[in-house]
Amino acid sequence: MENIFEQLAQQAVNGITIGGVYALIAIGYTMVYGVLSMLNFAHGEIYMIGGFAGWWVLQIFSVNHVPVMNAALLISLMIILSMGISALLGLLIERIAYRPLRNAPRMNLLLSSFGVSIFIQNFILYFQGAKVKVFHVAHLIPEGLRVFHIGGVVISFMRILVIVTCFFCMVILTVIIKKTNIGKSIRATAQDIEAAAFMGIDTDKIIVIVFLIGSALGGAAGILVSLLFTQVDYYVGFQAGIKGFTAAVLGGIGSIPGAMAGGLLLGLCEAMAVTFFPSAYKDVVAFVILIAVLIFRPQGLMGEKIREKV
Amino acid sequence: MKRVIVLLVAMFFLLPGQSAFANDVSKGISVGNAGSFTGDAAAPCMEIFNSSQLAIDEWNARGGINGVKIKHVMGDDALDPAQGINVARKFTSDKSMYGVVGPPVSHIAQASLKIYGQANLACITTAASKPELTESGYKHFFRVNARNDAHGWNCAIFIKNHLKGKKIAVLNEKVAYCENMAQQTIKGLKKLGITDIMNDTIVAGSKDYSAVLTKVKAYKPDVLFFIATAAPDQAIGVKQARELGIDAIFFGTEGARDKKDFIEASEGAAQGAYVYHFGPDIYSIKEASEYVTKYENKYGSLSGFGPPAYEAMNILLTAIDLAAKDGEISRPEVISKLAAIKNYKGILGFPVGFDKKGDLLGGATYFFKVNGKNFEQITVLTGK
Repeated sequence: MENIFEQLAQQAVNGITIGGVYALIAIGYTMVYGVLSMLNFAHGEIYMIGGFAGWWVLQIFSVNHVPVMNAALLISLMIILSMGISALLGLLIERIAYRPLRNAPRMNLLLSSFGVSIFIQNFILYFQGAKVKVFHVAHLIPEGLRVFHIGGVVISFMRILVIVTCFFCMVILTVIIKKTNIGKSIRATAQDIEAAAFMGIDTDKIIVIVFLIGSALGGAAGILVSLLFTQVDYYVGFQAGIKGFTAAVLGGIGSIPGAMAGGLLLGLCEAMAVTFFPSAYKDVVAFVILIAVLIFRPQGLMGEKIREKV
Repeated sequence: MKRVIVLLVAMFFLLPGQSAFANDVSKGISVGNAGSFTGDAAAPCMEIFNSSQLAIDEWNARGGINGVKIKHVMGDDALDPAQGINVARKFTSDKSMYGVVGPPVSHIAQASLKIYGQANLACITTAASKPELTESGYKHFFRVNARNDAHGWNCAIFIKNHLKGKKIAVLNEKVAYCENMAQQTIKGLKKLGITDIMNDTIVAGSKDYSAVLTKVKAYKPDVLFFIATAAPDQAIGVKQARELGIDAIFFGTEGARDKKDFIEASEGAAQGAYVYHFGPDIYSIKEASEYVTKYENKYGSLSGFGPPAYEAMNILLTAIDLAAKDGEISRPEVISKLAAIKNYKGILGFPVGFDKKGDLLGGATYFFKVNGKNFEQITVLTGK
């Protein structure tokens, strides 16, 4: 019996780690949906670029897999540069692929985002090749700090890093959204973009900021997962995108706390499902929960009900 | 309705034909190479392609076939069965194509089997090991590697006799090759009296196997048989298993016999792990030394996937050469010449011949242990 509790605790650790990452990705989806009512399917690729950017930073600053600078500094640099590059990419995508279509039907924006996604994937495939890029992280963490044992539960340094960084990002974001003027403007724009413009909010600027924040968090998710699983390739964005999108819908698309809760819930459900069912049913369980939530709470866990006026 | 009938009638006339008539050799000879040259299996597949290219270069340097230079055509399926079908369509509609090396991945070979079969285009796979591929009645499919049922049985013996396993966890990635390999091994283990077996699956490409490995840890096996197609997934598998504190012997598949993507990528976690492979250690075979030097000089380091491809391409070209002797050649002729090949002595260290189904006669499984940065050959089993 003790064994099953130990196993569940371990799965909780596994689930929270991956759930935190899902949450970061979901925030990007949900914020863009909030202001533009569009699904940015290129968001998975922004996540992938985050991983690649981190890999390049690691490559540049290490010789024979040994870092040339302080490991903590290098890890921070990887995370910050990945977030920066992903954010810039998000801006670029908004400018090239979405802004010209601002007044077009939503379907066009959706198709445009698919196009961007395919383009970025193939761009990376062409210039970086199809082979997996391996992160050699053994020298980044001192021998004694790599894994911690709490009872029978094993938790690695990288998992702690991922969990802490995810929650740190979420807290910062919540503060920005709740307390600052920019956050207020974002909330106003999400509520009603036209009314916000009437009130003197530069909605174009807000949309840019939303893309900036969402993409930076997507990039952070990308580098964190790459550090954890030590591999990145051109195709990782697809699955991550699907999971992030699911988490956003689960939490109620458009709602930022919803995206956070949705991500964590999805990660936990997946990990717990494996304990009780064959692991092939992992995704089945996750999506059954999604369907159930959508049947009983169509607006998602924390989404707001929108009354359509006839 | 009328249009549909016209279309159907037109298709009826178009479908056969194609390969039924003999062609003049001087119109050109090309051979295809179908594989996953991009995607997770890109490294082994490029090794297959480059090795085939070496064989073709040698033939062309000797004057080609009947004075005609051979053309080598790449068909990339990106590890996607749907694209594998496109490659098959492209190859079968190329009138100057008389044979194909590949596809090396079982589920892609299976998806495209019918298309190659209906066009009578000979295929020699160098790695696809799912038994059903040669059980479907088509005569065009040959392999220079042993089948899963042979490998599964050999692996079961290895797990029992060499690894002394009593409690076994088997994880497989849900694709044709892996699923079948898991089934065959479990069947073998049960036959050997080992019934304490856990069987579960992983999702390839998700890069996170910690949830299912946590389950494995609770099961406390002696041996973890991790059946995945590509080396990077197995590197993650062994790394996460060690991280979770699973001390079972890690036993990987042929895809893992890759120094860079398995041993190096696992950053020490693979130390002491075992893998099986359908090919022997090429460095220990005298006949192969010329090929090894040529390959390494031109393309860099070699794992286990190149040598069978070099052999397969040479065998294919030998058959095409025999079929083209009279100046005329057809696809069925190439297939019949291939089927007749007996005791071909190349670089693999054993004579290659095919049985009635196109399977390799007397297939063997080779076992390796990770020692430092290298694979050390432990033993070879042939079902006994």
